[in-house]
Amino acid sequence: MESFEPYEEFKPIPLPVLIIAVALALWGVFTLLDNGKAVTVGRAERSDQIADQHANRQNGAELFVSRCATCHQPNGSGVEGAIPPLASSPFLKASPEVAMHILLNGIDGPIRVGDATFEGHMPSFASVLSDADIVRLVTHVRGTFADRHDLLTEGDVATARLLAGRRGAWQGGQEIAARLDASLGPQPPMSSATQAAIDPIAQKLVSQGNGQTWACASCHGMRGQGSASVPRLAGLPAAYIAKQLGDYVTGKRRNETMQLVARTLKPQDMRRIGDYYSVMRAPSNARASLGGDLVRGERLVLDGDWARGLPSCVSCHGPSTFGVAPSFPALSAQHPEYTAAQLTAWVSGTRDNSTGRLMNGIAARLNDADRRAVADYLATLPPVPAPATRGRTNGK
Amino acid sequence: MESEERERVEGGEERARPLMGRGVRTAIIAIGGGAALFVIASLAFDAGIFSDRGEVPMSPDVAQAQMFQPPAETSIPDGPAGDAVRRGQAIFVNTASNAGDFVGNGVACASCHLDSGRRANSAPMWAAWVAYPKYRSKNKQINTMEDRIKGCFTYSMNAQASKSGGPPPAGHAVYKDLETYMHWLATGAPTGANMPGAGYPTLEKTSLGYEPARGQKVFVAKCAACHGADGAGQLDINGRIVFPPLWGPNSFNWGAGMARVNTAAGFIKANMPLGQGSSLTDQQAWDVAAYIDSQERPKDPRQTGSIEENAKANHGGDSYYGKRIDGRLVGVGTP
Repeated sequence: MESFEPYEEFKPIPLPVLIIAVALALWGVFTLLDNGKAVTVGRAERSDQIADQHANRQNGAELFVSRCATCHQPNGSGVEGAIPPLASSPFLKASPEVAMHILLNGIDGPIRVGDATFEGHMPSFASVLSDADIVRLVTHVRGTFADRHDLLTEGDVATARLLAGRRGAWQGGQEIAARLDASLGPQPPMSSATQAAIDPIAQKLVSQGNGQTWACASCHGMRGQGSASVPRLAGLPAAYIAKQLGDYVTGKRRNETMQLVARTLKPQDMRRIGDYYSVMRAPSNARASLGGDLVRGERLVLDGDWARGLPSCVSCHGPSTFGVAPSFPALSAQHPEYTAAQLTAWVSGTRDNSTGRLMNGIAARLNDADRRAVADYLATLPPVPAPATRGRTNGK
Repeated sequence: MESEERERVEGGEERARPLMGRGVRTAIIAIGGGAALFVIASLAFDAGIFSDRGEVPMSPDVAQAQMFQPPAETSIPDGPAGDAVRRGQAIFVNTASNAGDFVGNGVACASCHLDSGRRANSAPMWAAWVAYPKYRSKNKQINTMEDRIKGCFTYSMNAQASKSGGPPPAGHAVYKDLETYMHWLATGAPTGANMPGAGYPTLEKTSLGYEPARGQKVFVAKCAACHGADGAGQLDINGRIVFPPLWGPNSFNWGAGMARVNTAAGFIKANMPLGQGSSLTDQQAWDVAAYIDSQERPKDPRQTGSIEENAKANHGGDSYYGKRIDGRLVGVGTP
């Protein structure tokens, strides 16, 4: 009996328990260090980004390549029948204020350049370019394509910007000529018959809801701009919006909040909401925020990476990613958190509703860094110049 | 009896205790071992030893990577030669704007030669450059590269409907710039060699043969979202062509290579839908090519007499030109 007590005292901790304890401790330390490293790397990336954006800005030529050349072309030729040329354009030969006002407000109507008339839509760059950017861009474009070298100041842009917020896009060349420079010559008149009327039923659905669930605007904002993981809707194709709402109901696209909302909507409501948002012009409130590599993002969006079987974004979503109705949504000025989350959702299968399942394969070929790069670059682009007027748009 | 009972019970307990201990120990070892394995696996997972989250498996296009690689766009030299390369590239991707006098439809060089003429199995320019001059049965003579490009304008870009009414005249700057661009793309490529990835792949005939009616179903499911149910392509909000027209008045004419079913089938199999190359079966590629190439398009500029005569002279092999589908004579051209 006396030997019993010492036996109890000397009973060792079982070896497996020790192993578990040591392994758990190792895991804990490793996880702590790893998280710490990730946070440090993330911060470093973020600060590099900010430094890049604020201290080491793009010069005029670089701004031109990344903001203008996708439409107006690197050589300023424009696109036959669609995009006015810049080379020798009277709008550039005029005072620098004309180019500045066009950049700030965009154009939404017919314009005559040389001996051709263009019925197009140019975005407003007010929400994505700083005063200094606009000065550099105007100086570069006028110097290169019109051999004009008189200067604009940042003060001029700041003043014009105050007024720019109060008016929408220029209603074609005629308004620009009348308001800014009569020497631009005769310009085609705006056709008022095509003005899209606001649908009161859709407006009520968007701003007040249908009495059963939230109003669209309670999350997506009164101007359809969205924020962070809530997408921008302004300017997306009507049929695309209606299709997404339908897909929330069927579960092809999964999101609990949107499923609750969509289930209360009739198909004709979905269509009305789509129509309502599709003609909405709203400034961008998106900012690159994921620490993505903007240069890599620009390459992927404009050229793709064919070595990995990746076509460019613009080959389907259209030049400048303004979308191609009805199937391909605009991507520009979308919030990077949302874009990156969707690219992940195509891979994880929570979203499986793209045309021909094209996005599944594309998203799978993008790694995490590429997703952030693409999402951040798209956030720097100007918002889609939604046709507030219905011209000869295709696919409607 | 009592003591015997007790002894038995005590004895039983003594025997039971080590048994129980062994059971507990086994359980601890099992659970502990399992936990340790889990922890080790987790550590390995965190360290990225296993691939996950799409970080590693990016499926590089191995077939493409093994082909000839043209120089990067950033390496275009400065100076007059580099300027010509850039002009050539601009013509190549945006033909209607930079060689607009000679383009009569909504097709650009880059519509069929993907990735600005770089993509292997999409008739890349680096392979074409080193293959010319060569004899072509299409016109039964030696063709220089300029002759070949002239053919592209004449047929694929339907030059007779352009402002000038025909392809660029001999020696035109459009040829010089395009040839300079191609020459630069072929930097380091062996002259006269048969390069892997040249042209479009040749697709073996299937036992079923090809048929437009079957192809229509493929077209609706796989192609119509981009090229439109009517094959007319699609424009963006500014009226700019994003998806090229496949038939109708704004498409390539009856003399184009792409109007032959076998050529179209090879291109489609390797490259369409964009980003999903080789996803269609050979049968689907043949059928959808047959559907597209049985639709009406601008008339063949080589036709001087009747369609039947021109069919005999220029349209052997896999072409619907001059044939009848449901009583309709194919090849009459679009208005």
